[in-house]
Amino acid sequence: MDNKTKMIMAGVAVVAIVLIGAFAFMGGSNDDDPAHLRVAMHSNIAEPKAGFNPLTGWGCGHQNYNPLVQSCLFKTDVNGSIVPDLATGYSISGDGKTWAVDVREDVKFSDNSTFDAEDVAFTFNTAKKTESELDLTNIENVTAINKTRVEFNLVEPRSTFIYDLRYVGIVPSDSYDNSTYGGNPIGTGPYVLDHWDKGQQAIFKINDNYYGHKPYFTQITLLFPEESTWLELTKSGEVDVAPVATSALNQTVDGYKFVEKSAGRAQGVSLPYLNDTGIVYNGTMKVGNNVTADKSIREALNVGINRQVICDDVFAGHATPEYTGVDTRDFANPDAKVADNDVEKAKQILKDGGWVDTDGDGIVEKDGVKASFSLYYPPDYLDRQSVSTVFAEQAKQLGIEVKLVGADWDTIYQNLYSSAALMQQTSPDPYKSVYQQYHSKEMDGFYMNPNLYNNSASDKLMDDAMHANDFNQANSLWSQSALVNGGGWGPAGDAPWVWIVNYDYNYFIKDGIDIGNQPDGLGNDVLINICEWTRTNSTA
Amino acid sequence: MLNKNQLLKFLSYKLIRFVLLMILVAIFSFVLLDLSPIDPVNAYLNQAAVSESQRAILYEYFGTGVPLHIKIFHWLSDLFHGNLGISLIYRAPVINIIFEKSSASIVLMALSWLFSGIIGFFLGVVAGKNKGSWIDKAVKVYCYTIQSAPSFWVGMLVLMVFAVYLGWFPIGFGVPIGVNSSDATFLEWASRLVLPTLTLSLVGLAPIAMYTRNELIQVLSSDFVLFAKSRGESGWDLIKNHGIRNILLPAITLQFLSFSELFGGAVLVEQVFSYPGIGQTAVAAGLQSDVPLLLGIVLFSAIFVFAGNLLADLSYYLIDPRIKENEIND
Repeated sequence: MDNKTKMIMAGVAVVAIVLIGAFAFMGGSNDDDPAHLRVAMHSNIAEPKAGFNPLTGWGCGHQNYNPLVQSCLFKTDVNGSIVPDLATGYSISGDGKTWAVDVREDVKFSDNSTFDAEDVAFTFNTAKKTESELDLTNIENVTAINKTRVEFNLVEPRSTFIYDLRYVGIVPSDSYDNSTYGGNPIGTGPYVLDHWDKGQQAIFKINDNYYGHKPYFTQITLLFPEESTWLELTKSGEVDVAPVATSALNQTVDGYKFVEKSAGRAQGVSLPYLNDTGIVYNGTMKVGNNVTADKSIREALNVGINRQVICDDVFAGHATPEYTGVDTRDFANPDAKVADNDVEKAKQILKDGGWVDTDGDGIVEKDGVKASFSLYYPPDYLDRQSVSTVFAEQAKQLGIEVKLVGADWDTIYQNLYSSAALMQQTSPDPYKSVYQQYHSKEMDGFYMNPNLYNNSASDKLMDDAMHANDFNQANSLWSQSALVNGGGWGPAGDAPWVWIVNYDYNYFIKDGIDIGNQPDGLGNDVLINICEWTRTNSTA
Repeated sequence: MLNKNQLLKFLSYKLIRFVLLMILVAIFSFVLLDLSPIDPVNAYLNQAAVSESQRAILYEYFGTGVPLHIKIFHWLSDLFHGNLGISLIYRAPVINIIFEKSSASIVLMALSWLFSGIIGFFLGVVAGKNKGSWIDKAVKVYCYTIQSAPSFWVGMLVLMVFAVYLGWFPIGFGVPIGVNSSDATFLEWASRLVLPTLTLSLVGLAPIAMYTRNELIQVLSSDFVLFAKSRGESGWDLIKNHGIRNILLPAITLQFLSFSELFGGAVLVEQVFSYPGIGQTAVAAGLQSDVPLLLGIVLFSAIFVFAGNLLADLSYYLIDPRIKENEIND
């Protein structure tokens, strides 16, 4: 190497060192105001690509949610009860088809226009027509009677309509434009969108017009990172709140406390309920499975598996056993549960059902049919894959063979009616978590009532619950439908599912941040009570 | 001197090929996408529970059930009017999204392209000149390793070392967290560009370094170098006068042809660094079956790669006088 080469190489090295040195002092964020909050959102609240518009995706749908910019007619209080927010009260007509809601008259939108019943009518009438996951097809029309009273006319009576009133953020009728609202949302919520770097972060500032208790945090930055970077983001200290991925559950990060929140998010295995009679739906979807259609198989699995072990192994203990899929809800039925981890009883159930191991391979048979079925799961979720695997191992101890198949959702849908599938549900709305899940229906190729469960006595109770005028009466009817005349959708009844775990959402929250009291089983929005949050030390 | 008529002929020939290519790419990718088993409505709903009637509204919105030839016809006729359609998931014109997202990616790709070209060429020359020495071996080992490593993996290593353990650089994102991006300083912005650029450059320089090294070794063993050596030329002067001139052109061509790899690499690297560019957008569009947006990005990337090839051709034309002669005398 001659001198010139050496000089060039030295030059390159010097430049590199200077550059690295220059950047070394600016790694962290410059934003150190204690009243500013930086939150990495859970993957279940993805960045709303169409903007912060409740009618096209922002918070619409199925979670207990705080849309920040908008507020809803009702909200969830610390006990998980639904209480008025923009509304002051409601009443339901005798036939259950008309809901009248009274609304506040002291509220202004963030653009200083006045909120009234007209805005509510406009929001729901527009949302009904909008193409999104927000399903308001049961609304006939919504009319503002006067400035403070709005009437919802429903196609069919539905006691669960209160959940729709709880989840839809109200937009202003005067200025709403479907194509621009998402980037420039106007609402009555505690915050306004200040700045949005698409694909990266959204910065919210306090809404001076907010009618409720003014929050401590004057600025909130929401980040929407990939799950794989959550831990690194926390370790770098750049965020105040970050979710913890299942793979990082036993880690600790200095300066952060680990916070566990019951998500009310149940995972379980749906078992095909019908016998295989050769029906093929839509040319491709086989219907029925002679193994899982046998009640003793479904009962044995429900009784025999050890749910606590799965909670401990897969979720490092950050989960609780789940028996009915809605254990934590007001409409749960404790009598519909069964005691689990009883291998002997499970084996006895199989024996009584005629399932015996005749060829000594450890798998029981009945009339020449082996107790064997496939279980589909989406492999891109570590937790679902692990739950499926442990479930299959435990089933084998009982003499039931579960063949694991990792597949994409379209393949899973194709096989729902003839194979088991690992499913998950969250909704506190019984229309979604009970009615759609268990009410008998036509085959349609989708994931609601995936195993084609069908019990007319249960159906009747669920219909009654839908049509009930009284919330408590409806809850009681939902509860009864889980166990009716020895049947029903609970494990002590027909046992069409093996519900397994109810896992928690876990967060790393920076020391000094007080997140107040949150309702349990709230789905996944840690910001639901953001107005109560404070920072007790001043180092951000 | 460049013959204007010849150049015009050359360009119009390229233009015809370009138009043909675009039409074929458009039709081909549309059909492929239509044949894909993804149900856009299911992908959009992401297992949210909705009733049949709401599903019907969504099917209409996503155009499911419309016959393929009608869809293609509508899309192509819109395309001829310069309308790329409305993105289904962003609910905004595709052209705006592509413009917005690609501006971030272009900076990233341009810088990586420059660095990988310059550093790769430099390493190749150093290795080729010192064939068999430790420095040559080091360059070779590095190039083989990096060629066989997926770029997202390299990205994750870079991220772990420089952002997590050393803490020199921010962990990701194109802007400082909690700061209005228009208030961010140049340094804040640039510091977020360093790691993705570094990753893309590290990955991209391997082919150009290896190629340059081999070319230089060949040139150095040729007759005219032997002749020059016999006249007493040696060291850097020899490389400068006889080596570089001969290997620069193919190296430049190779570098322009690497546009397609650059695009592919950017998709993966942007994903790792949460960098909000066209790559991340392509992934989102693909996973949710946003047909108009994905097709828009496909067309955009086809233009991008075509431009790379065209520039490579033009560089022959402009840099090497011999090729210019040949083409003109055709």
